[in-house]
Amino acid sequence: MSALASAKHPYIEALLQGAEAPASGLGWLNERRAAALERANALAVPTMREEDWRFTDIRPLTKVQFHRAEERAHPSMAEISGYIVPEATVHLVFVDGVFARELSANSGLPYGVIVAPLRTALQSHAAVIEPHLACHARFRDEVFIALNTCHLRDGAFVWIAKNQQCPTPVQLLFVSTQHEVAAHPRVLVVAEAGAECTLIEDYVSLGETVHFTNAVTEIAVGENAGVQHVKLQREARTAFHIAACAAALAKDARYASHTVTLGARISRNSLNVAQEGEGAQIRIDGLTLVSGRQLADTHTLMDHARPHGRSEQLHKCIVGDAAHAVFNGKIMVRAGAQLTDSAQESRNLLLSDKAHVDTKPQLEIFADDVKCSHGATVGQLDQEQVFYLRSRGLATEHARALLTYAFGAEVVDRIPVPSLVEQLERAVMRETKAGVQL
Amino acid sequence: MSTVLENLVNRPYKHGFVTPIEAETAPKGLNEDIIRLISSKKKEPEWMLEFRLNAYRHWLTMEEPAWPNVKYPKIDFQNIIYFSAPKPKKLKSMDEVDPELLRTFEKLGVPMNERAALAGVAVDVIFDSVSVATTYKERLAEVGIIFCSISEAVREHPDLVRKYLGTVVPPGDNFYASLNTAVFTDGSFCFIPKGVKCPMDLSTYFRINTAESGQFERTLIIAEEGASVSYLEGCTAPQFDSNQLHAAVVELVALDGAEIKYSTVQNWYAGDESGRGGIYNFVTKRGLCKGANSKISWTQVETGSAITWKYPSCVLLGENSIGEFYSVALTNHMQQADTGTKMTHIGRNTRSRIVSKGISAGKSNNSYRGLVKIGPKAENARNYSQCDSMLIGAKSGANTFPYIQVHNNSAKVEHEATTSKIGEDQLFYFASRGIGPEEAISMIINGFCRDVFQQLPMEFAVEATKLLGLKLEGSVG
Repeated sequence: MSALASAKHPYIEALLQGAEAPASGLGWLNERRAAALERANALAVPTMREEDWRFTDIRPLTKVQFHRAEERAHPSMAEISGYIVPEATVHLVFVDGVFARELSANSGLPYGVIVAPLRTALQSHAAVIEPHLACHARFRDEVFIALNTCHLRDGAFVWIAKNQQCPTPVQLLFVSTQHEVAAHPRVLVVAEAGAECTLIEDYVSLGETVHFTNAVTEIAVGENAGVQHVKLQREARTAFHIAACAAALAKDARYASHTVTLGARISRNSLNVAQEGEGAQIRIDGLTLVSGRQLADTHTLMDHARPHGRSEQLHKCIVGDAAHAVFNGKIMVRAGAQLTDSAQESRNLLLSDKAHVDTKPQLEIFADDVKCSHGATVGQLDQEQVFYLRSRGLATEHARALLTYAFGAEVVDRIPVPSLVEQLERAVMRETKAGVQL
Repeated sequence: MSTVLENLVNRPYKHGFVTPIEAETAPKGLNEDIIRLISSKKKEPEWMLEFRLNAYRHWLTMEEPAWPNVKYPKIDFQNIIYFSAPKPKKLKSMDEVDPELLRTFEKLGVPMNERAALAGVAVDVIFDSVSVATTYKERLAEVGIIFCSISEAVREHPDLVRKYLGTVVPPGDNFYASLNTAVFTDGSFCFIPKGVKCPMDLSTYFRINTAESGQFERTLIIAEEGASVSYLEGCTAPQFDSNQLHAAVVELVALDGAEIKYSTVQNWYAGDESGRGGIYNFVTKRGLCKGANSKISWTQVETGSAITWKYPSCVLLGENSIGEFYSVALTNHMQQADTGTKMTHIGRNTRSRIVSKGISAGKSNNSYRGLVKIGPKAENARNYSQCDSMLIGAKSGANTFPYIQVHNNSAKVEHEATTSKIGEDQLFYFASRGIGPEEAISMIINGFCRDVFQQLPMEFAVEATKLLGLKLEGSVG
C-alpha cells in the first residue's frame, strides 16, 4: 500500500489513513482493494463544477480533518436499545464502523439465512461473496465509493439461500459516537433465486458529534427474488453522510426501496438500481425532511437494460427554514429494453422563504416501445385545503402542520415495518409540529 | 410497415442547391485584423470595433463547452471564413435584386415579391450575411418602426444600438455568444416605439450560401412601452458536404406592457443519412422582459441542422411579466438536437409556460434541456412545463433534462414529461377507417404537435405541418 503517498489530493490522502490493512487471504479481494486505492488516489473531492455535484456544496466536509475511530468501550445496550426496531429480532450493530458483537443478535436464524459480519463471512462464504462484493457499486469515477472500498475489511453480510425467506426484518444499525471520525460501513445483501427478505439499514449518532459516514451498500436480487429495503438516515445535524447503494436485479426480481432522510448537516444518498434481467420490478420511495441549515441530496438512477421492466418512484421533500434539498432522478431505458413502463414523481414542499429546492428528473430513452413519464412539482400548501381545514375550526397553523404531516406520511405509510411507520410518523409529526397542536 | 416509414423518412433534402453569386470573401481564420476588416467593411464607429475586440479578447480565454448531449468533431475556428458578402450594389427596387437570388427563392417555393405581397410580410432578406433588399420599409417607417439590417442600424441609429446591444446576451455570456459578438456580420434590427402595434408580421429569410462560411447573425428587437410585434424567422440551406457553423445571437427587449412574439421554422441541411455534412446550429437566443406586464413568446419548429443546440430563454424581470416557449424538434437519421429553454423568474407574479414536443426517428438523438429558476424575490411566480417525446424506430433516443431551482416558497412549479411511440394499434385503428399509414402518421404527428402549431402565424403553421410530413415520410413501423 505504498501508493498512499501518491494521492493527488491531500484531503483524500488523509481519509485513506487506516486503509493499509493487512492483505486478506483472498487474492480477488486484495486486487479489488488495490484497484479502488488506485482510483481513490487519482480522483479528487467533487466540486460544484461537476454536473453531478452542481447543487451540493461539500466544502464544509473538507474543512474537517477526519481520522480513524479510536478503540473505546462501546456504548451500552441501554443507549442504543431505543434504536432497535422491535420486529427486527435479528440485528447487527456497528459502532463507528466496527462490528459490536455484544450489541448484536443474529442467532436462531432458519436454515439458509445468514446475517453475519462480513469479516467472518469472507472466511466461510467467499464463493458467494466473490461475484458481488465491489462489483455492483462501481468505484471508477466515484471517489467516495473508492474510499469505502479501500477500507473494506468489515461490514454486514446478508445471504438468503434459494427459495428461502427471512421471517423477520433484518436491521443493520450503524452508530456513530466519536468526534471527527470517518466510518466507512459496507453492506452486501445477496438474495438468491426465489428468496425474500426485508432489510432495515439505519444510521444514527449518539450525541451531537461531527462525524463522517461514507457508506456503500450492494444488493443482488436473484431471479424472482424480492428484497424490501428501508434506509433511515437519522444522524446528528452536525454529521456528514455520504451513501451509495447499488442494486442489481435478475429476471423477474422485485426490489422496493424506502429511504427516509432526516439527519446530517450535509447528506448525499445515491441509489442506482440496474435491471439486468427481463421483467424486473423497481419501486423507489423517498422522503427528505430537512430544516435549519441542512442540505440533503438524493440521486437515483433506474437503469432499464432488459425488456418488460417496470419501475415506479415517488420522492418527496419537505424543506423548512434555510434548508436545501436536491433531487436528481434519472430513468434510463437502454436500447433493447422494450416495453419498459416507468414513472417518476418528485414532489417538493417549501415551508419557508429561505428554503430551496433543486430538482432534476431526467429521462434518457433509447428504445421506442416504452411508456415513461415523470413529473415534478414545487410549491407550498394548497390554499384551498388550508381553507377547508380552517372552515372545520382549525387554526391556520394547525391546518398547515396537518397538511404537511399528511404530505410526508404518504411515503412513510408504505414502509413494510409497522413499528417503524409509527416511529417515523411521530418524527414527521414532531418536525412539522402537527402533533403539538392537535 | 417499417419500409413505408423508412421511405418516408429518407426523402432527400428538397432545397439543396448552391447559388453561384460572386462573393467578396475574407481569408480564412480569425484574429484581430479580421475583426478590424469586418468592422471597416461595415463602416462601423469606433465603439463598435472596441465592443467586438473586447468580446474577441474575452473569447480567447474561454473554453468550448462540453456539457451538451451532442457529439461532433472539434471545430477548427481558424478554418472558417468570417466574412463573405455579395458585391455591393445599389438597389432601388425588387427588380434590381440579383435574378439568381430571386431564382433561389423561387426554388424554395417562397418567391419573395409574391410572399411579400400575398402574406403582407416585409422580408429582410439575409443572403450570406448581408441584407440585400428590405421591403415595406416605408410603410413601417410611417408608424415609426425601424426595421433594417443591424449594420445599417449601427450606422443610422447608433444610440439605440449602443443602448441595448449586449444587454440581454452580454459579450462574455458563453463561448459562442462571445464569438458571435466579435465577428457578427449581419442580422436584423427592429425597434417598435412606444405604444405602436406593428401592422404586419416582420420576417427575415435566412440562407447560408458560400461553402464553409460561418454565419454569425445578430438580431436585436426592442419593443418600447406598450408596443407589440410578431417576428418570423425561417431557414433553409443548400446541400454541402463540409459542416457549417452557425452561431447566431438573438436579443429581445420588452419594456412595460410590451409584447414580442418570435417564431422560427428551421430547416437547414441536416447532413446525409450517414451523418456527413449538415449545419451546426449553436444559437444563443434570449429575451428580457424588462418592464412590468411585458410578454415574450418563443415558438420554434426545428427540423433541420446536423446539430441543433439552442435554448431560447426569457428573463422575467418586470412584475407580472410572462414568458412562453413552444417548441417542436424533429430529428431523423443521424441528427442531434439538444434544445429547450430557460425561464428565469426574478420579478413578482411572473409566469411562464413551456410546451416542448420532441420527435426522434432514425438513429437520431433528441434532448430537451430546460431550466426553470425562481429567484428569492419572485413572489407568486408560476411555471408550467410539459415536454413530450415521441420515438419512431428502435434506434433513436429521446432524453429529458429539466432543471428546476426554486428559491421562493410562494412559487408554484410544475413539470410533466412523457414518452411514447406511434403504436401498431393506433395505425391499425386508422387502417380500419380506411386511412393509410402515411396519412395516419401525419395526422398523429400533427395532433401531437398541435399545441405548438397553434402558436404559429397562419402561413408558418401551414409550412410547418408540411415540413414535418415531408421530413417523416417513410418513417413509421
